[in-house]
Amino acid sequence: MLFKCPKYIFGYALFVFFFTTNQALAQEIAQVEGGFDFLQFIGRFHIVIVHFPIAILLLASLLEILSFKNFNSKYRPAINISVIIGGISAIFSAIFGYILAQNEEVTGQTLDLHQWGGIATAVLSTITPFILWLILKKGQSTKISLYRWSLFAASLGVVFTGHFGGSLTHGDDYFSFSNNKEATPKSGFLTLNADSDSLSKENQIKLIGEVRAIFAHNCYKCHSSNKQEGKLRLDQKEFVFSGGKHGKIIEPGNPEKSELSRRISLPRNHKEAMPTKGKALNADEIELINFWIKKGAPWPDGSLQPMLFKVAKMEPRKPNLPTPTGDLKNPIDLWVNEYFKQNEIDWKPKVNDRTFLRRTYLDIVGLLPTASQIIAFAKDQNPDKRSALIKQLLAQEEEYTQHWLTFWNDALRNDYTGPGYITNGRFNITDWLYTSIKQNKPYDQFAKELLSPKEPSKGFVEGIQWRGTINASQRVEMQAAQNVGQVILGLNLKCASCHDSFISDWKLEDAYAFANIFAEERLEINRCDKPTGKFADTRLLWQNLGNIDSTTSKAKKMEQMANLLVQPANGRIYRTIVNRIWKQMMGRGIIESPDEMDNEPWSQDLLDWLASDFAEKKYDIKELIYLIASSKIYQTASESVKSTNLLYDNNYRFKGMTRRRLSAEQFSDAVSQIITPIFTIKDMKYSGTKSNPIKPAFARASLVANNAFLTALGRPNREVVSTSRDSQASLLQALELTNGERLTNVLARGAKYWKAQFKTRDVIIRVLFSKALGRLPNKSEMKAAQSAMDENPSIEQIQDLFWAVLLLPEFQLIY
Amino acid sequence: MKNNRRDFLKQSAATIATMAVGSPISQLLTSCGVKNTENATADSVIVLFMAGGMAHTETFDPKKYTPFSKGMKSDSVLSTFKAVPTALDGVSFSEGLESIGKVLNKGTVIRSYVAADLGHILHTRHQYNWHTCYEPPQSVVVPHLGSWIAKELGPKNEVIPPFINIGQRFDVGEGEELKAFHSAGFLGSEFGPFMIPDPTKGLDSVRPPVGMSLKRFESRNQLYEKLVNESAMGEFGSDYQKESLKRSMEQAYILLNSPEAKAFDLSQEPKEKYDVYNTGKFGLGCLMAKRLVDQGARYITVTTEYVPFEGWDTHENGHTRLVDMKKMIDAPIAQLIKDLDESGRLDRTLVIVASEFSRDMLMEGRPDLRVLDQVEQPDVIEDIKNYGMHRHFTDGCSMLMFGGGIKKGSVFGKTADERPCKTVEKPIKIAEVHQTIYHALGIAPDTNYEIEKRPFYTTPDGKGKVEMDLLEKKVQGVS
Repeated sequence: MLFKCPKYIFGYALFVFFFTTNQALAQEIAQVEGGFDFLQFIGRFHIVIVHFPIAILLLASLLEILSFKNFNSKYRPAINISVIIGGISAIFSAIFGYILAQNEEVTGQTLDLHQWGGIATAVLSTITPFILWLILKKGQSTKISLYRWSLFAASLGVVFTGHFGGSLTHGDDYFSFSNNKEATPKSGFLTLNADSDSLSKENQIKLIGEVRAIFAHNCYKCHSSNKQEGKLRLDQKEFVFSGGKHGKIIEPGNPEKSELSRRISLPRNHKEAMPTKGKALNADEIELINFWIKKGAPWPDGSLQPMLFKVAKMEPRKPNLPTPTGDLKNPIDLWVNEYFKQNEIDWKPKVNDRTFLRRTYLDIVGLLPTASQIIAFAKDQNPDKRSALIKQLLAQEEEYTQHWLTFWNDALRNDYTGPGYITNGRFNITDWLYTSIKQNKPYDQFAKELLSPKEPSKGFVEGIQWRGTINASQRVEMQAAQNVGQVILGLNLKCASCHDSFISDWKLEDAYAFANIFAEERLEINRCDKPTGKFADTRLLWQNLGNIDSTTSKAKKMEQMANLLVQPANGRIYRTIVNRIWKQMMGRGIIESPDEMDNEPWSQDLLDWLASDFAEKKYDIKELIYLIASSKIYQTASESVKSTNLLYDNNYRFKGMTRRRLSAEQFSDAVSQIITPIFTIKDMKYSGTKSNPIKPAFARASLVANNAFLTALGRPNREVVSTSRDSQASLLQALELTNGERLTNVLARGAKYWKAQFKTRDVIIRVLFSKALGRLPNKSEMKAAQSAMDENPSIEQIQDLFWAVLLLPEFQLIY
Repeated sequence: MKNNRRDFLKQSAATIATMAVGSPISQLLTSCGVKNTENATADSVIVLFMAGGMAHTETFDPKKYTPFSKGMKSDSVLSTFKAVPTALDGVSFSEGLESIGKVLNKGTVIRSYVAADLGHILHTRHQYNWHTCYEPPQSVVVPHLGSWIAKELGPKNEVIPPFINIGQRFDVGEGEELKAFHSAGFLGSEFGPFMIPDPTKGLDSVRPPVGMSLKRFESRNQLYEKLVNESAMGEFGSDYQKESLKRSMEQAYILLNSPEAKAFDLSQEPKEKYDVYNTGKFGLGCLMAKRLVDQGARYITVTTEYVPFEGWDTHENGHTRLVDMKKMIDAPIAQLIKDLDESGRLDRTLVIVASEFSRDMLMEGRPDLRVLDQVEQPDVIEDIKNYGMHRHFTDGCSMLMFGGGIKKGSVFGKTADERPCKTVEKPIKIAEVHQTIYHALGIAPDTNYEIEKRPFYTTPDGKGKVEMDLLEKKVQGVS
């Protein structure tokens, strides 16, 4: 009987799938050792298994309706099994769901509705098969309609509950019927004035401001001073009204007859649709432009060009700290706590000592903790041992410097080899940089020495001079303006060094005025590499910071600039650096990108407070690192991110440190540490000075020239400034690691030493796991490794074990 | 010479790029520009690059020949070789290029390429310009022509890397400057060049590590997979980094086991054919290019290799050395065209022979914009070492194009017959050359990516124009 009905087989298959899946997972979970939140993990299965009761109960109801006239229809066996499985899976769903709710940071009305709906449904789904049993086995056929009501109620229940569950997972508007997925809040202007017949002048100014902002963000790329597709410019009044090569684009008072309205309203795939590049305008933007035209396209002459792009505040700000609560004392935690409260995010528990140790070692000195360090730390009974460890690591001057050197080399475009050196068109600043990091030079002083350099630190502002003629926007003075802008001040002057920017309010003249500081004589302004015969003043990007004496020498001008830029009134410079350090430690900046400090931070208070505190503490980078590392938030469980896009999304919500990949240098150094050195001391391109030589235990990767191995793992060509690295793996890296000469040779060499030193298989496996992962292998890992090796393993077997462990995600991630 | 197998392997990233999730940068990039591969006349491109500056008057645009004699005047010398006939009536090449001349009926000779004005000549800057279409330096890392094509079209055969670069080492003078443009730049490293510095050792790069048996390679991989599955998965659950690590490892494994790897093995070629191509590394590079195109390669550069003062970079003994250079290129280039033609692949394969600029005995730079002379040239030649084109000339360079929709048996542009032998008809610049290549491949002229919030085009500002006169039939433009 069971196998005669195909629906039975289907149901049975579902049943088997459901249970075996869970069994396999349970096994896997059982293998996981301490520090892992079993409940949270199992809770997340809720999202998988809820689909069973939904589908199965609805199927049962459907078949029940089909059997309405004949209870013992041919569907009966299928209905019966569906009711049973539906009931079981509903109970599991409810239990897992309850666990999930206890372990995730979700609260609110939707959750309450979902939770109680789920519990009610589970109860109904349990009652239903019971009534059915009474009917079938006890012959109580009078209960048929009760059973049916119960089943239908349960089905309604899953639909109801599923709706709110979906809203929780995918967002509230997921189930709405609106097509307008990119709906943005209506312009304040529209809602206020949509019905008014005439506009006050003040309102007209506001309106044209909003219209121009739309033009600037969506149209200037092709229709402004830089480029006039179709001979149309939208950046100035007279051009907007004179139209393009096909005539006028605006018929004041009549949007229906205005070419502009027509083109922006066309479907995206229409060949005349505008804009052709970037996103289509959303409905509100179109409505606003139509409204403006309908009102006669007012453009009062008195209206100044508004600031079209968001600009961050310059002045420092120190908000009052929230009062300490519970175990939260570190100011960072107090701000994070405020943010969590506002965003209804729960604190996660602190990580165990092993994870903390690994994370802190890698972030502060770029090395792995040794097995004995892990054991000693575990035994340490000092309640403040974590803070003590951070201090101890920060005090390891050489190791600390050799780690942070990489970060600064990327940012300051400093390398041992590269274009420019061959023609003396580039200067290395490693000696100055190494010494400055090691001395923990206060950042204001550090920045001053970069901006107004003596010989050893001049490489940053001197840029790369290529032989021959170069584009005016790439002359070294302009490179200096761009690089100082990007790295020190967190803004993009690259566009504005060729023409007025269309991504910010910076004008060509601003860029030249700033670049003039780096020049002996004022530079002739070139627009798109064409000389204009004009000259800009010599000034900072913000005149409220002070003036530069344009008549004095380049060195004097740079000295004045350096002093003005590092003054406390320039909050921007310190927000920029604290954000960069935060990103290094936490995986994602308070602002992204760290080079665009006009973007929105996820917590303005935290950023402002950190920058002010940094200034008060005399610009002490190590203090800042200590503050971050000793915070609770740094020490809590890391966040996994499903896709990089989410990290840079406008709606990003901070929940904790994001997992990161080991950098090329961290990976190399870790291999050097645990297997055998990848680079020789001879490979070192910098080894200190004669009076102060550096002698690391092995050649740290930050001290060697770039090579194919490091490039594949993500070390950039430092021809241009680089302030963040890709943390996603690529095939390129996998090939380098799978088949690359360098790693293959190192592992082969290392295997020989290990064979001689540790001799037997099991010892080798245990030592490797402790060194590489900071833990012993679990039973199945041990078994897998053992099965690949003889008890007295060959060198090749050891080499292959090295390879397999080093390529594990667990090894390659900072988690 | 060290053949860096890593350089080769790592770039096959692009091979399975379409399968990969891709690097975060390229994920975040959104391309603008409509592909129109239906109108494409080519699927593959081979650039044969005469690195170091190939004098047009000594190769594909011969002028009045003046044989060497002691006491001859420098300003009387335009060509140091005789002109020889080609397959086209009235069109001559320089002596030593007879074989290429015989296949000119299958392509076009361009005699009016005008290189950029970059001031004081530095070969690598002009090469950067030739290969990227942009003038160095730039404020972002600029993609190579091959990277743009790899990014836009992907691999033709998933197992053959879409951008292969044969014959250039980086551990030579100006190596760092060479690296600067052998890059996919902001498109993401997976679209970078798959480097084969030495074509005779290409195969090593697509096999498991040297000395590792296939069996051991397999079991090593099994151990890795077991450990991945046994390790604390939950703790590192669903994370793009973990996922991308695992996926990239799987792809590497597939690639290293692929049967197409034999395309890299030149020893599989019949001996007679191998011998025709074997004029050295460059000739064998041409052979590898042919084999790779047969297997479905997308974009290949074969270079005579740039090493300062070697190859085409003749600062002295220009005449004598060019005898050898022509021997190096004549037979393999002609054979490559013939082989592609015979297999029917020439129709869809665009082959380009080009150099970063030309040379002249007297003129450095161009007539109306002379730059600092880098080579002493006596007014009266006493020694044969001074007999040759030793200065860098940018105003009239020769280029060849075959196949992939290019006109057959045609001459494009003209240079003056008297010094300065500069372009006098139909000047063509690098942006037009690139745009014509993109057009043949069906890549829209305004293809661009937004980088640091501004659009970055395949040709500067998207302004390069397609040179329709180079093309066999006028296909409706795709703009």
